[in-house]
Amino acid sequence: MTATLSKQDRLNATLSTLRTAMPELRGVLVATVDGLPIAQAMSDGTDANRVAAMAATAIGLGKRINDTLGGGELTDMSVSGLTGQVYIYSAGSKGVLAVVVPTGVNLGLLHMEARDTAQSVANIL
Amino acid sequence: MTSVHSPLKVVVAGPVGAGKTTFVQTISETLVVSTDVEASEDIGKLNTTVAFDFGTLRLDGQELHLYGTPGQDRFSFMWEVLCEGALGLVLLVAGDRPQDFLHARNILDFITSRNPIPFLVGVTRQDQGRVWQPSDVALYFDLSERQVVGLNATDPAEGRGLLANLLELTLTPLFAPELGDTNPRSF
Repeated sequence: MTATLSKQDRLNATLSTLRTAMPELRGVLVATVDGLPIAQAMSDGTDANRVAAMAATAIGLGKRINDTLGGGELTDMSVSGLTGQVYIYSAGSKGVLAVVVPTGVNLGLLHMEARDTAQSVANIL
Repeated sequence: MTSVHSPLKVVVAGPVGAGKTTFVQTISETLVVSTDVEASEDIGKLNTTVAFDFGTLRLDGQELHLYGTPGQDRFSFMWEVLCEGALGLVLLVAGDRPQDFLHARNILDFITSRNPIPFLVGVTRQDQGRVWQPSDVALYFDLSERQVVGLNATDPAEGRGLLANLLELTLTPLFAPELGDTNPRSF
C-alpha cells in the first residue's frame, strides 16, 4: 500500500500521525540536512524556507558540538524560550525534523513520538 | 584602536562554490570547525556549509579568527549572526563563474548595509583557464583595484597576503572612519 505512495505523501502521513498523537504541537517540518524544506505543517505566517535552513544549521552545529564532546551520534538539538521551544531531531543522514511546541508540553511523550517520527522520516528519505 | 593582542574577527562570505571553506581550511593554523553536509541540490559540488567554518591564524603577531559563511541565500541569517562584531570581510567570488557576480554583489550589499566593515574582494580560481582578472571584477563591482585581489583559495601564501591587505584596511582609520564608532573595545 505505502509503496505506491510518493515520498511526499508518506512524509505528510507521518507528520499527521505525529500531530494527531500530540495535538498541542505548534508546527512540524521536515527538511534536508542542507536546509531545503520537504514537508511541513507550520502555523500561518511562519517562513518554512527559513525554518528549514535554521533547522539544518542547528543540526550541523549540534553535530560538531557533539563530536567535540564525544557524545556519539547526535539525536536532537533544542532551543527554548519562555513561551515556546523547538526540538530539532536528526532524521538519518539526509533529513532533519523540527517540532515546535509550547512550554509545558509532556517532554517524555514528545521525545518518544518525535523520535519515532524521525526514524520514519529517515526510512522514507 | 583594538589591542594587537585581542583576536580580530574576519568573515569570509561569497556565493556557493567561491572557495570559502577551502580558503579557511587552507590558511587556518588550527583544526577547522566546519559544518559541511551533503548537498541535496545540484550546486556543482558534493558538499555545502550549513552553519560556518571556523579557523584561526596569527598574522604579524595579530591573532585572527576566521568565520566562513554558508553561500546559499536561505542561510542569510547566518551572515548577520557571523558579521556581528566582525572587523573585516573577505568576499570571495569564483573568477570563472561570472554568472555568480550579481549574487556576490547582493551578498556584499546585504552585509555592508547592516555592518559597514572594511572588505576586500578575492577573485578565486586564478589557476583556471578562462577566468576574470581582478581589475575586470573591480570594474564590475565599481571598486578601486586595490580592493580586488586575485588568488587561489588553495594557496596559503596568497590567502595570508590577502588577509594582510585587509588588516591594513582595518587598522587604517582613513579607510574605515566608522571603525571608532562600531568598536566598543577601543579605549
